[in-house]
Amino acid sequence: MSIKIALAGNPNCGKTTLFNDLTGSDQYVGNWPGVTVEKKDGLLAGRKDVVIQDLPGIYSLSPYSLEEVVARNYLVNEKPDAILNIIDGSNLERNLYLTTQLLELGLPVVVAVNMIDVVRRNGDRLDAAKLSKKLGCPVAEISALTGEGTKEAAALALEAAGAVAEHGKARPPDAPHVFSGSVEHALAHIEESLHGAVENATSRWAAIKVFERDAKAIEALNVPADILAHVEEHIRDCEKEMEDDAESIITAQRYEYIGKIVGETFKRSARRASTTLSDKIDKIVTHRILALPIFILSLCAMWWLAVAEGGPGTKLTDWANDEFLGDGWHLPFTAREVDGKDYETATGDYAKAKATVEAWEAGRKKAFVEDEETGEVSEEWDVDETAYKAAKDAKEPDPSDYGVWIPGIGALIGGGLEKLGVGETVVSLVKDGAWGGVATVLGFVPVICIVFLFLAFLEDCGYMARVALIMDRIFRKFGLSGKSFIPMIVGKGCGVPAVMAARTIESERDRRMTIILSTFIPCGAKTVIIAMFSAVFFREMWYVAPLMDVIAIAIVMLGGIALKKSSVFAGEAAPFVMELPAYHMPTLRGVFIHTWNRVKGYVFKAGMIIFPACVFLWFIMHFDWSFNLLSDEEIERSMLHDMGTWMAWFFAPLGFGSWQGAAASVSAEIAKEQATATLGLVAANMDGATTAAHVSNLFASFGDFPKLSAMSFMLFNLFVPPCMVAIAVTFREMGSKKWGWFAVGFQLLVGYVLAMSVYQIGVFVAGGGFGFWTAAAILVDIWCLWMIFRPARKIVR
Amino acid sequence: MPLSQIEIGKRCRIKGVTGDDAVRHRLGALGFVEGMEVEIVAEVGGNFVVGVLGSRVAVDGALAKRILV
Repeated sequence: MSIKIALAGNPNCGKTTLFNDLTGSDQYVGNWPGVTVEKKDGLLAGRKDVVIQDLPGIYSLSPYSLEEVVARNYLVNEKPDAILNIIDGSNLERNLYLTTQLLELGLPVVVAVNMIDVVRRNGDRLDAAKLSKKLGCPVAEISALTGEGTKEAAALALEAAGAVAEHGKARPPDAPHVFSGSVEHALAHIEESLHGAVENATSRWAAIKVFERDAKAIEALNVPADILAHVEEHIRDCEKEMEDDAESIITAQRYEYIGKIVGETFKRSARRASTTLSDKIDKIVTHRILALPIFILSLCAMWWLAVAEGGPGTKLTDWANDEFLGDGWHLPFTAREVDGKDYETATGDYAKAKATVEAWEAGRKKAFVEDEETGEVSEEWDVDETAYKAAKDAKEPDPSDYGVWIPGIGALIGGGLEKLGVGETVVSLVKDGAWGGVATVLGFVPVICIVFLFLAFLEDCGYMARVALIMDRIFRKFGLSGKSFIPMIVGKGCGVPAVMAARTIESERDRRMTIILSTFIPCGAKTVIIAMFSAVFFREMWYVAPLMDVIAIAIVMLGGIALKKSSVFAGEAAPFVMELPAYHMPTLRGVFIHTWNRVKGYVFKAGMIIFPACVFLWFIMHFDWSFNLLSDEEIERSMLHDMGTWMAWFFAPLGFGSWQGAAASVSAEIAKEQATATLGLVAANMDGATTAAHVSNLFASFGDFPKLSAMSFMLFNLFVPPCMVAIAVTFREMGSKKWGWFAVGFQLLVGYVLAMSVYQIGVFVAGGGFGFWTAAAILVDIWCLWMIFRPARKIVR
Repeated sequence: MPLSQIEIGKRCRIKGVTGDDAVRHRLGALGFVEGMEVEIVAEVGGNFVVGVLGSRVAVDGALAKRILV
């Protein structure tokens, strides 16, 4: 039988640091069943029989927020063997508020006063022994950061838990006398009335819940209605006397009690300044003029790290995708040159030689080299017979000549399969289908890691709270609070953590709205689409790429306004209450564990969805309905071709109603970059030598306005529901299928209407004539404008 | 008078919080109870940063109007 120790404490009290310290990295992170609240547990290091159950950070055990309800239900129903209550020593009184409640539950409690090093540094003094006597439970002094006292605290908790096991059903620890006067009088009455109706160990707690008229708790306790009616009079008498409502009376008395015992056990240093270091930092960080630029600077730093061309993020991503998972790479510091050329130059020269040979033998006068991803032609040159003869002799450079070469996993798989001598179909299935799927998932990991790392750092040091505060004023204008902003920044990297970041928003209504709106921000994958289309269609129009971000912001604002006008979302923005924790340098280990847990969750989830989808896509692309394997040129006989044709009508009003347009757009739901990859493959039969030419000609085949078709295609794929993983996370975070479908429906509507309007009205303006769809587009646009600008409903709540 | 009308840097005592909703009890748990001394630390875009029990709590402008000192 394992021993269960529950870890309880305020947010920002160092609970997570202690949890990491006690469990090492042996943690399991998931969700509490049925709710979007993170559940974390782990084994105490060195004790496989002791489970440390981390509870959500809470200020009290009230029934008002999801976290508190989850924690309370766990403590009351699961009855852990002991509670280890962590307290921030530099914030003693507020932390003790929860402690007084924990002590009433009838479970063994051990109090660990954390940040004791900060307390000492401030010159304050805590008499732990005296506090222990007053509270009636052991009090340990710890510093989770340095590890001081943590093992002792855990030992105390085990001892307390063990005492229960030894003596069987324990006598409840003597809860301290928190309440006084008429309140204590009323509580005693209630306790008496409840005698026998509830378990002995929790009669005090039950009495307090009845006094507070805590409906959820009363229901769970099964208090008979006649008792409730009987004691109601006592409660009302008390309320009249204290001139306050029952709950507030309890709260005030708790703080009165706390003030008293802290006064007797804690000596504050005389030299404490009234403004702390955190206050000084905040003066700059939340400064009227400096706040926004500072924030934008930190965002730019994150974006540069993660997705900027030439930044560490893209370097890592390219290495991971092309080399580590692909062909292979040289160990750093072992690179050599051969004949004055390094490996990259040598392969570049060889590629050019191959292109020269191919062009000459095909009877072309020009040869070219194109970028794999975007199809952009990077170099073009004339070929003649001399060049051809020289190129024919070129030898492929052997990578091992240029340094210690580590073959990429993709190459290893391909090589391994060749050696096994398996058929072409199997090779393609394993290498392109299965491995292609895995590689797609893993290819995101570098960007995900960097974004999560950066965010973990900002969260753990305390800056994120300030960001929400700074942006609150702007967001309040759209009926949301500043907390809705954070998911949108996160969305610049990836939509999956963006949707999850909405958890911090307490108001369900605001949270739902934020989830729906955050994925409109172009994520890293969508940026690939923007890059390809800019290169192929909008080369001279440099403003197209940033325009997409502007459109995203506009959609968030206008979409927010429109949603707010509907009865479902209408109402004032929820009140904004948020603790601003003191700034502190996060531990490297804490940040890493924080990041690692999230990356693990993402990879697992993504793997389960993207992998089978990629295999499926490969399958329908390479086989016809009789399951014959097709070559790349025979793609028009494939199942994908037919499926695309069935769906093409849906995309006709948008200007790319062909099987290729349909196939690319639908495949983009697997992962947004698939749009460009699929386009490249399905356009292969078009005229032209380069991928860019293929795609360009493909869009030319859609009608007279290829640039409009291209813009429409781009807008559609950028602003419809995000990739399947993000959609899955949306469903989960919404908590109900109904809301998940609403989000998907809304996003599909926005993307479709936007693409259709741009295409149809663009065609009309460009002289393409006025047709049925032009009229339809205009009507839909008018409807959208009305949804945005109509008078807000007056709600009666 | 409401907290929103107190000047920055001033200390005052809580008289109560109007209304009866979950937020009121959240504020109570954070220390906004009758008799508690608080300090207006800063104002950020219409929202207020209040010092209570040694910690810093940010409340929006509308909520600050409901806190009576």
